[in-house]
Amino acid sequence: MTDRRRLVVSLVVLAALLVAIACVALFVGGAGLSPRAVVRALTGSADAGSVESIITLGLRLPRVVVAALAGGALAVAGVAFQGLTRNPLAEPSVLGVTSGAAFGVVLAQIAGLGASVTDALAVAACAFGGALLAAVTVYAIARSPGGLVIQTLLLAGVIVGIFFSSAITVVISIVDVDRLGGVVHWLLGNLSPVPAGSLAVFAVLAAAGFGLVLASARELNLLALGEEAARQLGVDAERLKRRVFLAAALLTGTVVAFTGPIGFVGLVVPHVLRGVVGQDNRLLVPTAMLAGGAFLLAADTVARNVVAPAELSVGVISAFCGAPVFVWVLRSRARAAA
Amino acid sequence: MRLAVFALALIVASPADALVVRDMTGREVALAAPPARIVSLVPSVTETIFALGGEARLAGRTDWCDSPPAARDKPSVGGMINPSLEAIATLKPDLVIATDEGNREETAVQLRRLGIPTYLVHAHRVAEMLDMIARLGALVERPDAVAPLVESIQARIDDVRRRVAGRRPPRVLYVLWPDPLIVPGRASHITELIDLAGGRSITATVGESYVRLSLEAAVARAPDVIILADHSKAGTAAGRQSPEKWQRLTSVPAIRDGRLHSIDLSILHRYGPRVAEGLELLARMLHPEAFQ
Repeated sequence: MTDRRRLVVSLVVLAALLVAIACVALFVGGAGLSPRAVVRALTGSADAGSVESIITLGLRLPRVVVAALAGGALAVAGVAFQGLTRNPLAEPSVLGVTSGAAFGVVLAQIAGLGASVTDALAVAACAFGGALLAAVTVYAIARSPGGLVIQTLLLAGVIVGIFFSSAITVVISIVDVDRLGGVVHWLLGNLSPVPAGSLAVFAVLAAAGFGLVLASARELNLLALGEEAARQLGVDAERLKRRVFLAAALLTGTVVAFTGPIGFVGLVVPHVLRGVVGQDNRLLVPTAMLAGGAFLLAADTVARNVVAPAELSVGVISAFCGAPVFVWVLRSRARAAA
Repeated sequence: MRLAVFALALIVASPADALVVRDMTGREVALAAPPARIVSLVPSVTETIFALGGEARLAGRTDWCDSPPAARDKPSVGGMINPSLEAIATLKPDLVIATDEGNREETAVQLRRLGIPTYLVHAHRVAEMLDMIARLGALVERPDAVAPLVESIQARIDDVRRRVAGRRPPRVLYVLWPDPLIVPGRASHITELIDLAGGRSITATVGESYVRLSLEAAVARAPDVIILADHSKAGTAAGRQSPEKWQRLTSVPAIRDGRLHSIDLSILHRYGPRVAEGLELLARMLHPEAFQ
């Protein structure tokens, strides 16, 4: 199969999967609406003020969109970090970038930024700043004349992650206890319906990050051969790294700003995809967008329903899936190296 | 396309508003008619609605709304921090009552986005609590029940004040949570209640509502009375603060004189009709001689 054909087939299959999971997500939930009621709401034959319309169109549909967007953005951020560091274990939460973004958001929340569109932009900017700071720090720590040493990179990620988590703890220790519940709830990583205006901000920022990574996919393929080789093939490695860093931090920061820190999506999804579409970033980036959306949407649907009418945090589900994958990749690499 | 238009209509929908009330944070709440299906996300609001005899209009409550016992018969929509929006919508409320203190602001934002009118209460002072009773009385159309309830609460408060008047105020440490140590600050209603009960909170000048304090700062302020908030629910000991940690601090006047008390959190922290009961409990701890 040619690359182009493989890309088209993968995209069609993944899009179908995403739509199928979205359908399931629309039909199940704590309210226990009948399938017929959900269909009535979706086709517009139910009254706008009816329970089925409010729940289906006002709660479930926007949440499905948020989950698909956030999952896709996180998976693409994972592909970007993995391409940059030439390591499949690099991922926003493993590298501490998610914690950096979360610190930015907690500062913004303490400053009293709310839910309006301009506030959403400001919160996203804070998250982007925190994510970028964490990513650059990790990279600077792990960099050495011989390139990136993977153990150093992972340890640097852990340390930077701990540092920003501690910074968050400092902030919530001095903030009024009344506001603690909301911050802690947010820190667990929860999806909730985002108002239309803020959702547009979310989509535009995620699309910008996605576009930047996609435009760099060919050069990331060359970077995989090694920095020196990439340079000989005409890649401006420094410029490429700056651009992809910015894009990955933008994707991570945006997701954290709108949903809270959700880990491991950027690890699990690219790892599974590599087994299907191979190592080519030109295939990985667009497929990761759809597969990440499908993964997080599935995780959120589980989180919404497994202990209904209460809800689990989706971050818990993604971590339960991601931690074993991380260990598995780590072990198989250790075996390969031995 | 049809779907998009429909979703948009849902977001901007505003029914013919027959009634516009202003909530306790100053925000206007538009109602089509006097609310007949209220979901309360606040335990003290639930209690107040029952005390006013308006419970027929209460369609839902939170897991924390356990008083009076009859409140448990109403369907719950989950916790105060994370109620299920789906469960709330299913109850078809024409009004949700929340607070700016124990609920998340996001919940109110989401409810308004869904077109469900949401009324915020704000009661940190006795005067505000009495105001809240009057407002809730108007909302559930039981205005006649307001005056008797308010007068009985006011009479009990006045009685406590009379009894403790002129007595030397003990220095009080109120422990909301022991580890980390969390105490009521300047804006907390506990600070006002301690004042009314004839005491002086040693944390009355710190922070806002509730703040973290170091143990040594608490010891250095030499409290005459220490009161531990009991978070346990009926029948279990989970959430009850252990007194041993405090009893070791033998240099503290409160421990030396055996004035370490425990008080039921649900009575003292619900800013509703039982506030007078909580105040009497406090006053008996601070001035036992005044109640003999």
